[in-house]
Amino acid sequence: MKGENDDSFSMRDFVTGAWFSSRWALFFVSLILLSIIIANSMVDDWGRLENGGSNLIIFIEESLWPPDWSVLEPQDYPVCLAAPGFSFTCSTAWIGLIETLKIAFVSTVLGMIISLPISLFAARNLNSPWVSYPARFILAASRSLPSIIWAIFFVILVGLGPLSGILAMTVYTVGYLGKLQYEAIEGISRSPLDASRAMGHSWIERSFGVVLPEAANGLISQAIFMFEYNFRHGTVIGIVGAGGIGYYINLYLKFLQYDKVIAYLIIIFIVVLLLDFISIKARSYFTEENDVNERGWLGFISRITALKKSPK
Amino acid sequence: MDDGCVISLDNVSIGYQKNKPLIEGLNLRVNSGEIIAIVGPSGIGKTTLLRTIAGLVPPLKGGLKVCSQTNPASPPRGELGYIPQRLGLVRHASVHHNVMLGALAGHCSPWLPFSFDARKSAHKAIQKMGLEEKRRSLVRRLSGGQQRRVATARTLAQKPSLILADEFLGELDEETMLIVMDAVISYVDEKNAALLVVEHDIQRARKMADRLLLMKNGKLVPYVESLEPVEEE
Repeated sequence: MKGENDDSFSMRDFVTGAWFSSRWALFFVSLILLSIIIANSMVDDWGRLENGGSNLIIFIEESLWPPDWSVLEPQDYPVCLAAPGFSFTCSTAWIGLIETLKIAFVSTVLGMIISLPISLFAARNLNSPWVSYPARFILAASRSLPSIIWAIFFVILVGLGPLSGILAMTVYTVGYLGKLQYEAIEGISRSPLDASRAMGHSWIERSFGVVLPEAANGLISQAIFMFEYNFRHGTVIGIVGAGGIGYYINLYLKFLQYDKVIAYLIIIFIVVLLLDFISIKARSYFTEENDVNERGWLGFISRITALKKSPK
Repeated sequence: MDDGCVISLDNVSIGYQKNKPLIEGLNLRVNSGEIIAIVGPSGIGKTTLLRTIAGLVPPLKGGLKVCSQTNPASPPRGELGYIPQRLGLVRHASVHHNVMLGALAGHCSPWLPFSFDARKSAHKAIQKMGLEEKRRSLVRRLSGGQQRRVATARTLAQKPSLILADEFLGELDEETMLIVMDAVISYVDEKNAALLVVEHDIQRARKMADRLLLMKNGKLVPYVESLEPVEEE
């Protein structure tokens, strides 16, 4: 007769428990195996990987290194009127870089303004599927093509230059940022929405009074991330003539002047690192983690003023 | 509104699945000036009942009527004040912003953040809850007790005819609990409003309520002390 203290843990319990604990690990192992099988079906000769390393060394030694820093020297024409010590601002690297930053900034701001109302319609916790799915369709459509394809499209429509770059990046930003935004909106707690619905707020009151303030930190953080993302992609769209530093990279690639190309790439790399660092810092003011000091807009501004006031 | 009726439920079944109602055949009428407390074991459907009355969950069966409602399609704006268990505050916004949300719902206007009356209501409610010094603070930086006071201030600023409160006193300390409870009870008295509160603490429920109802086995019955010691959550 089995009493209350009998050990009722059977082999079957053990197998069920072990399966339950390891099911995710098994899932990921299966995923990795599947991807290896698919890759193997497409690659006919893995031996080609052997020469990759030596080819890279030859390419670096003969073509890339050392970088040609003449890209930081002022152009011959137009005549540089910058103050002494600032002649680099007349260089192609500087002009291209600033243009790319400008394109990234304008397209992020425009994209955010356009995507915000669409993402409010796309959020399922605010709207019926009849409203949210068409809004999602618009966002998916503008995200479906990479920004470089949009750039080609706008170069055809409005011609070469930064305008087509701005338009291309804006359209892509609407789709990409819009998705991040409606996911942030759908992630807010249900409780304030319930209170608002019970009180009888209208859709606009709920959206602007409850949803946007509740999701604001996430939305601001995503906009900062989007700016950084747009800068990185802004370097590429110049290749198709949509303005920015990519234009010069493409130019020197055509002339096979890889030492100049690597100089541009190093400059881009440094700026991306800087932007990434600033972006992480700025975003930390809009998240709740380590919410010890004053955060949010007030904290951000008060930190900056404190830095300025600080004697050292 | 006729003969003091605020809300009436006639043979209502509530729950999330048609074949598994949490409560069946519920008849309840809440009159103005009345305070009703609902007690019962956890997970029995008390919160779902409040959410159903608040219009957040459709009733599975039966008629639920806000007595002042003239258009059956849309419940009257600002008539119901709801304090959810998790308070329903906009955590990343200021105390003033949250209280203003209640005040705006209570004033029959579309989005009017600059309405004088709404701002006055919000100011008074903040004062009543002793939150003047915190009015610009973000809600997420306040203590649990202060957040409960903000949620109460929001409802007071709304001036609803029925307050639905889901354990709104939570684990407040005695002093704060008395401030919040007194403010709500005096509001009900002054405005001849009604309060329907879900409460896990029998002593507290008895202290504030005119009627005590017990939810058990899918029914809502008058609470009889000798019969029903209610397990606390």
